Amino acid sequence: MGPRTELFEREFADHLGVEHVLALSSGTAALHLACIAAGVGEGDEVIVPSQTFVATVNAVLYTGATPVFADIVGPHDLNIDPDAVEAAIGDRTKAVIPVHYAGYPVAIQRLAELCATRGLSLIEDAAHAPSATAGGRKLGSFGLAGCFSFFSNKVLCCGEGGALSTDSGEVAERVRRLRSQGMTATTMDRHRGKAMEYDVGEPGFNYRIDDPRSALLSSRLKRLDAEIERRRELVLRYRELLDGQPGVILPWGKSDVAGSSCYMMAVLIEDGRRDEVRRTLQARHGVQTTIYPAVHELETYRRRLPGVSLPYSEQVAASMFSIPLFPHMSEQTQDEVVAALTDSIGG
Amino acid sequence: MSWRVPLTEIELAESDVEATMGVLESGWLTMGPRTQQLERAFAQSVGAEHAVAVSSCTAALHLACLAAGVGQGDEVIVPAMTFVATAHGPRRCGAEVVLGESVSVTDPNLDPADVVERITPHTKAVIAVHLCGYPADVDGLRSVCADRDLFLIEDCAQAAGGRMADGRALGSVGDLGCFSFSSKTLLGVGEGGIVVTDDADLAARVGSLRSHAMTSVTWDRHRGHAETYDVTDLGFNYRIDEVRAALAHARLTRLEPELARRRDVVRAYRQRLAALEGLELPYDDGAVDRSGHFAFPVLLGDRSVRDRVRAYMHDRGIQTSFYPSLTQFTAYAPSDVAGTRPRAEEFADRHCVLPLFPLTETRVEAVVAELSDALG
Repeated sequence: MGPRTELFEREFADHLGVEHVLALSSGTAALHLACIAAGVGEGDEVIVPSQTFVATVNAVLYTGATPVFADIVGPHDLNIDPDAVEAAIGDRTKAVIPVHYAGYPVAIQRLAELCATRGLSLIEDAAHAPSATAGGRKLGSFGLAGCFSFFSNKVLCCGEGGALSTDSGEVAERVRRLRSQGMTATTMDRHRGKAMEYDVGEPGFNYRIDDPRSALLSSRLKRLDAEIERRRELVLRYRELLDGQPGVILPWGKSDVAGSSCYMMAVLIEDGRRDEVRRTLQARHGVQTTIYPAVHELETYRRRLPGVSLPYSEQVAASMFSIPLFPHMSEQTQDEVVAALTDSIGG
Repeated sequence: MSWRVPLTEIELAESDVEATMGVLESGWLTMGPRTQQLERAFAQSVGAEHAVAVSSCTAALHLACLAAGVGQGDEVIVPAMTFVATAHGPRRCGAEVVLGESVSVTDPNLDPADVVERITPHTKAVIAVHLCGYPADVDGLRSVCADRDLFLIEDCAQAAGGRMADGRALGSVGDLGCFSFSSKTLLGVGEGGIVVTDDADLAARVGSLRSHAMTSVTWDRHRGHAETYDVTDLGFNYRIDEVRAALAHARLTRLEPELARRRDVVRAYRQRLAALEGLELPYDDGAVDRSGHFAFPVLLGDRSVRDRVRAYMHDRGIQTSFYPSLTQFTAYAPSDVAGTRPRAEEFADRHCVLPLFPLTETRVEAVVAELSDALG
């Protein structure tokens, strides 16, 4: 970590409109450090969606706290339901981690108010959502911390990487120490002659990024808005082409696209035909799709957190896949995907 | 600041840059063929059956401890004289870290006889550290561990390329060996690490936990695709990516000659420093022959002399360093620990690490001259 990491952190903070960004080894690392910074620990509960990648839930488990799942709004909005969050708040609740799923903002203002009223920390899982906005404000700037992923399939990517955004100087300092073993001075400080010694108070981790990855991120950040704009165009075009297609639900609406980073194009297939349609898409048309299990239904979480029932999350997990979406996708490829999907659903 | 002689300098060869660019041009950035290639080559280089590349040596140590079954209520013995990451591994598993003593002030590595004294019914594992690259007595530690069914984990963060007297690679003696690709190491790629082991089950567990215990990683590999995945345990994101894997692989092919150049520098230093009043050389010539030469420590009179010498060198543009013992850190030092590991603590107080990379003879002499002046 040196000058290129510092530069990327400054640029990304400016991009998001926050005071501090700390670049990290992964989005998982960002979520873990955000939980620690929020004071989450043994005996606490943290409210999370199940319609997310396991990292959201694991970050809570790493601290010894208990994740409490809240259901999503429904098949037309895959984000956590603020009413379900409110209902899940108990005496031991310490924080809420909403996920801006697929790049679409959750009801973040409402959750921010709810957390403020109830004295809870709000941690935004914005792994899918760099540059997405709510009310004109960038996601990741509403809570105590925003957590971003730069994993290779993400909107802004470098291979493996992540970042934490925050307006709190205190959170930033703690995360800065914890990402580098808890050391009070870094190698760079010592190289610059600024420090001769260091202490370790709170044991930390190696959650550092390195300068080559930061340089790549700086370079890609310059193209991010243009690439997301292209993603939005493609999503709007998908929506038009698939409009009225029987047996298909497209979550969210046309008017939500402008605020989304459009990380993925989610499609719900009705009547329990998801797996069959998916197989046809692959076998007959060579179209790759991805499915997303609900976390609470995966083996280790069934064991650790038994007895969870989340009807909408389960329904979506069983009926959704994502279809190809990337900024340099041609309209011709898109037409082929739509034709393949129509054909696969038709039988 | 701009150092006249920095502590270390990274030299990347054209082949390193080419390997890196090749990945970027391919567009495949994570956990693909380059990671597998690195794992195969690394396993072969240390003579281990399996290697699993991860995000850092800290991650490697954490996963090694988990694979060894270390958990809450367990104790893990680590040398008091090591970098904090060694202790963070077991600590993160919820285990208690027990600080072991050094063999002597001139051999600060873990003393097997001291380890025997610290073993309790709760002891689960011992982590040997090859400090600065110099081989710890892992054969001695191995027999201590084997007798009591304890896991022996080697922390080789500073010891890539290091060997035992009989030629076995460091990292291949214990149940698991953990290496670093951190920027200042001989295989530095920025951030990265790797775990080696001969045990297929341990390797599978490390491989699973490095990527959130997702089953489809293996499934993918064997069938070319996966319909879905399950998650069978609480895992982590400790993955390396293809760019770093390719760079580590490129550097691994140059490890032997790089190590030889560092060894020459160390011998040149030792020759010039042997007669210097007020300075003692740790380790012996045999250890120098076999070391991974991450760092070159010398012993000075006491802590105040050391600190004074470091400040003097600093003012003359020569960067030095030292490693505190864990007994000096707030996180690992209950009020009664100071003075209980006298050999480790004395090494921590007295040593000073001098610049080490393929230095020219002129620069070696400049460092030696400033050091003589500082002491004289």
